[in-house]
Amino acid sequence: MTTAALHPGFRPAKYLAVARTALRQALAERAAIVGRMAFYFVILLIFSQLWYVVGEMGALGELGATEFLWYLALTEWVMLSLTPVHLDIEADVRSGEIAYRLSRPISYLGGRLAEAAGDCALRAVTLGIWGFAMAYLLAGSLPKDPSGLLLALPLGVLALWLGLVSMAAIGVTAFWLQDCSPVYLVWQKAAFILGGLMLPLEIYPDWLRQVADWTPFSAFMYGVGRMSFGFDPVLAGEVALRLVGWSLLTTLLLVWMYRRALRGLEVNGG
Amino acid sequence: MRAILNFAAALFVTNLRATLALRGAFWFAAVMMLLNNLLYFSIWWIFFDRFDEIRGWRFGDMAALFGVVAAGFGCAVVFAGGVRDLGRYIIDGELDGFLTQPKPPLLHALGSQSRASGWGDIASGLFLIGISGVVRPTTAPLVLVAVASSAAVFTATGVILHSSAFWLGRTDSLARQFWEFQIAFSSYPRVIFGGVLKVLLFTVIPAGFIGFLPAELLRDFTWLGLAAVLGGASAYVLLAFAVFGRGLRRYESGNRVGLRA
Repeated sequence: MTTAALHPGFRPAKYLAVARTALRQALAERAAIVGRMAFYFVILLIFSQLWYVVGEMGALGELGATEFLWYLALTEWVMLSLTPVHLDIEADVRSGEIAYRLSRPISYLGGRLAEAAGDCALRAVTLGIWGFAMAYLLAGSLPKDPSGLLLALPLGVLALWLGLVSMAAIGVTAFWLQDCSPVYLVWQKAAFILGGLMLPLEIYPDWLRQVADWTPFSAFMYGVGRMSFGFDPVLAGEVALRLVGWSLLTTLLLVWMYRRALRGLEVNGG
Repeated sequence: MRAILNFAAALFVTNLRATLALRGAFWFAAVMMLLNNLLYFSIWWIFFDRFDEIRGWRFGDMAALFGVVAAGFGCAVVFAGGVRDLGRYIIDGELDGFLTQPKPPLLHALGSQSRASGWGDIASGLFLIGISGVVRPTTAPLVLVAVASSAAVFTATGVILHSSAFWLGRTDSLARQFWEFQIAFSSYPRVIFGGVLKVLLFTVIPAGFIGFLPAELLRDFTWLGLAAVLGGASAYVLLAFAVFGRGLRRYESGNRVGLRA
């Protein structure tokens, strides 16, 4: 296997073509799209009931059940739009398929990320429209200040990129662990808790909120969901910076892990 | 009946030996699932730390509910782990291997697999029931009843959903997704659901029999509650056998050559 094949020159057009193909393939898998939409609806339905009961008790303070439901619609939109790229990488490693894919004139990792981005784009659009309609239906209205939702869109795109590179890094652990699902489960639960997937960080005890702020998860989930509470461009800018910063750091980590993994693969005779 | 019970026990022991053969993988999967469940449950700790109660439901009630559902799900995938692949067995003609043997094919197919991660579910479930504070020494045996009936309804709904493959073709991923909806609906307080949704949760989506009723049995024991839990579980199990039996008449054998040792 030549070095050129392992580190092919970067040509964006190739990766765009891969992303487009993945998007078309995902479009054909209608049952999966419907399944995701149904799951999204179920979660929104359950939490709409929960927040209305808590709201009736007058325990939500200034914010109402409507804002909390829109918060969840945004955080779940990000979480459910993420393509499980770690499973694809794990499957390639376990089946040996990676040996064939490495010989293609396109970076393996770049190709897998482009595929995931194409699939993720379709998920984000379909779930975005569906989530907006269902949140409106279940909440009965838009949030008090709906202009914040506009800020959530670009932040959501940045969060999705952070999510994809994080999941790709989890997938690369399969080079050493074979089964990366335990690492994913821990990452996912950390995102649920420290990101505030279901409960906004305002509800958390102060110490836990401070811990969450030191991790990428608070910008990843709460940063996007928080936009349902009102239009705050300064906060949105801060969240965007944090998302870009964490994405860069995670991408560096991913590239470092991938290079080490490939070195191991060559040593083992792959 | 005795022969069937012996067969079920032999299947379980064989599967347990197989999962324990990879000891490291077994402990890793079980411990990770235990951590996963406890981390997930910590969301409710945060919630009740802030709101104290939801219509009379407190942290302990939630721990008991979550514990019953987790342990019930764990038992379902440990003792009847084949349920998750039943749709695939049907559509790929893999039921042939079970039909050619002189044992009940559904029982055999369900018991053909056991998932190590299920032990983590069971351990986390029992831990949460333990810390819930709703179980007293005199009512401790009810934990077994609650968890067993929850597992039975989980397995029965899995069989019903996957049996749709007999009529509709490849539905395994959709069936698996709807099966997981049971977990989503079962692990939230009953008091937040009302109207039509409440009726659905005791019929089409049997979350009531998977989590709410068994957990309430631990909280406030009544003979009527016990009858409802056992009656509901028996009804779903009978329905599962009936649907699978009906579907089996439509089953078309596969042409795959294989051997079940």
